[in-house]
Amino acid sequence: MLKMNHLSKVYRTHLIETHALRDFSIHVRDGEFVAVTGPSGSGKTTFLNIAGLLEQFSGGEYFLDGVDVRGMNDSARSRLRNEKIGFIFQGFNLIPDLNLFDNVDVPLRYRGFNAAERKRRIEDALARVGLSARTRHYPSELSGGQQQRVAIARALAGSPKILLADEPTGNLDTQMARGVMQLLEELHAEGATILMVTHDPELAARAQRNVHVIDGQVVDIHAEPRMRGLGVVAAQAAHG
Amino acid sequence: MWSLHKLRTAENETTTMFGYYLKLGLKSLRRNPVLTALMVFGIGLGIAASMTSFTVFYLMGGDPIPWKSDRLHAVQVDNWDANEAFDDKGRLPDQMTYIDAKALMTAAKADRQAAMFKVALPIQPASEMDGRDVKPYLEIGRATYADFFAMFEPPFQYGGPWNAEQDANSARVTVITQETNEKLFGGADSVGRTVRFNNVEYTVVGVLAHWQPRVKFYDVTNGPLTDAEAAYLPFTTAIDLRLDSTGNNDCWKNADPGWEGFLASECIWTQFWVQLDSREKLAAYKSFLDAYVTEQKKQGRFPRPVATLLPDVNQWLALQEVVSRDVEIQVGLAFAFLAVCLVNTVGLLLAKFMRKSGEIGLRRALGASRRQLFLQHLVEAAVVGISGGLVGLALTAAGLIGVRALYAEYQHIAELDWTMVAVALLLAVLSAMLAGLFPTWRACQVQPAAQLKTQ
Amino acid sequence: MLELRPILSALMRSKVSLVLIGLQIALTLAIVCNSLFIISERAALMNRPSGINETDTFTVGSIGFGADFDLRASIAEDLAMLRGLPGIADVAAINATPLSDGGWSQGISLDKDQKSPTAPTALYLTDEHGLNALGARIVAGRNFRPDEISGRTRQSLAWPPGLIMSRALADKLWPGQDPIGKSFYINVEQAPSTVIGIVDRLQAPWVHKQRVVELSTVVPQVVSDGSFVRYLLRAAPGQRDAMMKRVEARLAELNPGRIVRDAKSIEKLRADVYAEDRAMMIILGVVIASLLIITALGIVGMASFWVTQRTKQIGTRRALGATRGAILRHFLAENFVITSFGLVAGTLLAYGFNAWLIQNYETARMPWYYVPAGCVTLWLLGQIAVLGPARRASRVTPAMATRSV
Repeated sequence: MLKMNHLSKVYRTHLIETHALRDFSIHVRDGEFVAVTGPSGSGKTTFLNIAGLLEQFSGGEYFLDGVDVRGMNDSARSRLRNEKIGFIFQGFNLIPDLNLFDNVDVPLRYRGFNAAERKRRIEDALARVGLSARTRHYPSELSGGQQQRVAIARALAGSPKILLADEPTGNLDTQMARGVMQLLEELHAEGATILMVTHDPELAARAQRNVHVIDGQVVDIHAEPRMRGLGVVAAQAAHG
Repeated sequence: MWSLHKLRTAENETTTMFGYYLKLGLKSLRRNPVLTALMVFGIGLGIAASMTSFTVFYLMGGDPIPWKSDRLHAVQVDNWDANEAFDDKGRLPDQMTYIDAKALMTAAKADRQAAMFKVALPIQPASEMDGRDVKPYLEIGRATYADFFAMFEPPFQYGGPWNAEQDANSARVTVITQETNEKLFGGADSVGRTVRFNNVEYTVVGVLAHWQPRVKFYDVTNGPLTDAEAAYLPFTTAIDLRLDSTGNNDCWKNADPGWEGFLASECIWTQFWVQLDSREKLAAYKSFLDAYVTEQKKQGRFPRPVATLLPDVNQWLALQEVVSRDVEIQVGLAFAFLAVCLVNTVGLLLAKFMRKSGEIGLRRALGASRRQLFLQHLVEAAVVGISGGLVGLALTAAGLIGVRALYAEYQHIAELDWTMVAVALLLAVLSAMLAGLFPTWRACQVQPAAQLKTQ
Repeated sequence: MLELRPILSALMRSKVSLVLIGLQIALTLAIVCNSLFIISERAALMNRPSGINETDTFTVGSIGFGADFDLRASIAEDLAMLRGLPGIADVAAINATPLSDGGWSQGISLDKDQKSPTAPTALYLTDEHGLNALGARIVAGRNFRPDEISGRTRQSLAWPPGLIMSRALADKLWPGQDPIGKSFYINVEQAPSTVIGIVDRLQAPWVHKQRVVELSTVVPQVVSDGSFVRYLLRAAPGQRDAMMKRVEARLAELNPGRIVRDAKSIEKLRADVYAEDRAMMIILGVVIASLLIITALGIVGMASFWVTQRTKQIGTRRALGATRGAILRHFLAENFVITSFGLVAGTLLAYGFNAWLIQNYETARMPWYYVPAGCVTLWLLGQIAVLGPARRASRVTPAMATRSV
């Protein structure tokens, strides 16, 4: 699904070179829930930006859903981003002047779906995060947890191949964070591929697999089945 | 003692806070120099446009003789054609026939009265004059009565007006202006000396000091904005010498032949002014005038219904539409233009202050009251306003130079007046404050918590 | 891809900005349309031909001194001298010229008993050289003969039997008929005159009196009392300015008992008589230009602010798959919507302003195409003004989305 081989990213100013990522390799498979952890300044965000095609990288290779993204121009990258990636940001990044419906609509507009298709997808996505009743509300009228749910709905609406979450609970209190985390786990259980960046080990522990980054390098990959997480999913599935 | 001390502290606080706000304002304006320049330039341009046209408007339409404009009245009687009014707007004739002028002068029912008309005066300097060779030249003169000087109060440098006896005798006397005296006598006291106009010698009885009424209101028919006369001579003398009027001469029926026929005709070519010192006198003169017209009707003149009018100076200027229509349109446009500039500045200030809602929230959280924040931003807006006003003033000066270049006859009108300067500055500051008021109010509405919660 | 509805709803959330820019655009449209219309009206006024040769002609005045000045002799002497002057194509004594804004007007009646005249006319009193000196074109009938020229004094009441008039006047008096030989009265108490010739066009001296401007009559008389005479001269092509100086000097030389003054080319008269119109055009032009600049700068300023304010939002849109082009188009579309709001209000304002001018200043109705043309101009202006900020917006990196504030 997502494969990086020996990726590097160098920031250059006229004085110094900073290696944000060095010889970075990672492979995320279909349906996996991977948490990328590390202290601040370790290169997590750079990794996420590159994975999400928000930034170019300096060396190495990156295949997203089998597509080699090296050397792609800005427009092609935008299209790829729009089709294959769903973003969930720490700060939600909802557009304050648009209501929920229009917020979820944003990526669909860029995709060029027709009106009926967009409407169906927006309604489905908002229903999926439990906010069907509030489509005409504006972000400022919602709690942080609800705003992040809208952001998740926006990420889901375009049926992306992978969800990229950047500290999705970073701006939320514990209770709201739990709700959002639960939603992500449910989505994973339904088959979504999720790549989450966080500095919170507890949160990371709820992912299927953790990747630890220090100084722009992957230091430790350990895969272990998350019994607890699966248990929750199983319980949900039983209810559903 | 105690209260005084307290007062002083409060005062100190105000001044120091003002200084602080000023510093903050300047800092904030420096942060976006392009935008600040845009705002200042916008206000400046708006002020300049409105001030330039308003100056012309104000000076053209303004009261040229404020201390007695309500006591000076033009006299209008309707001697016109039975079938057709004098003009399309149905106004009364703007000038008077010689017969009526003569009759009203003789009746002398007003406190003061003067008939007058515009004459061409070929001035022939004496060839041996102070060894200078001044060629004959043509000037505009005014034939009038002695009361002209008492009514319109031009200042005298030497001598004074001629007297009623000289009026009666068609005396060859003249009052010349400072400019003419300069040319003919090198500025010396020329009272008693003789000048030669069109082969006739006149004795100088008076020399005016510089006199330039903004608008030549006593004769708006013949160029209200052109230069004043070079010399004045008795009306009766001009008639005696058969000097033609060089002003407009409107007739509605053919005159009998010859000079006598011309004088006896229904052609209008004189102006007639009276001074009436009280309301009672005004009313009395009005009845006298109506009675005069009724009397004339009996003799077969004045075929139209009896209509007379005694507008005072300001009413007269309005009636004769001395302010050109173009200038009126320009004033309207200029104020619309000012509105655009203000709206523009409000928009930019709004954008600027709205962006500062974070900072405002923070300051609120740190204990600033709404009032303090309000003052802070009002100071910032005022700085923009004052700068805009100064830019506007400079542009107004440039604009007036432009107006003078475009309209030759506005030479004396298009001058920056200190009242106008004050008005311009006040307008700039007030409009900027106004422009700043709403954004500031909006910015101060921000709940401190809302800004600090999440961003 | 124009996402108009979301743009609209987003704009509705910031009504004040919308109202301000809309108001500015509305006022701009109203002022620009009406100003342009006034300019075009004045231009049309100034472009009317006077019917005479304006490039080679000039006038000069002479005022004799004293009550006993012999005007008749002086004119004869002057004309003889001027007609012999090389470089002068023709010369005539004339009471007024087109574009001089001063002259003599009378009413023309077709019937002795009619109460008010049929048409007003300007009277040009001149000799048989007059029309040739003016360069006016006789299109029917004939010019005056030397023996038809007489003097006119205060004593004269009757008008000469044969007069020449402008075609516009003839058409007004006798629509659709051949005017040659028709009779009319300038003074109903005297014998009528007949038309002996028609000039193609000869403007009256008063270019701002719409009622009379094309109506003029040429009379074979020279004013011969008083002390003032005006000469109209036509110089050989290219020699006008030189001849003006020479003529002034020669006249002064010929008779020192007078003032020779006011040598003015007809071109100068034209410039003077239309000075106020030209000034109005220039002032309105400056107003239009400043207004467009101010409005464009306002849009640039406002859009720049919005771009800065919405950097994060733009980054998010980019992250969600918006191409650079999409962001650019978003801002262009937004500007288009705002401008359109302003233009709707501006259209009403423009017609309202025109109605006010019609009511108070007797202006004509503005042709319909001014407002649509103004709208297109302002749309383009808005798009051009917003292009800079919009391009800056399109260059916002999508990585802005993950940056914390």
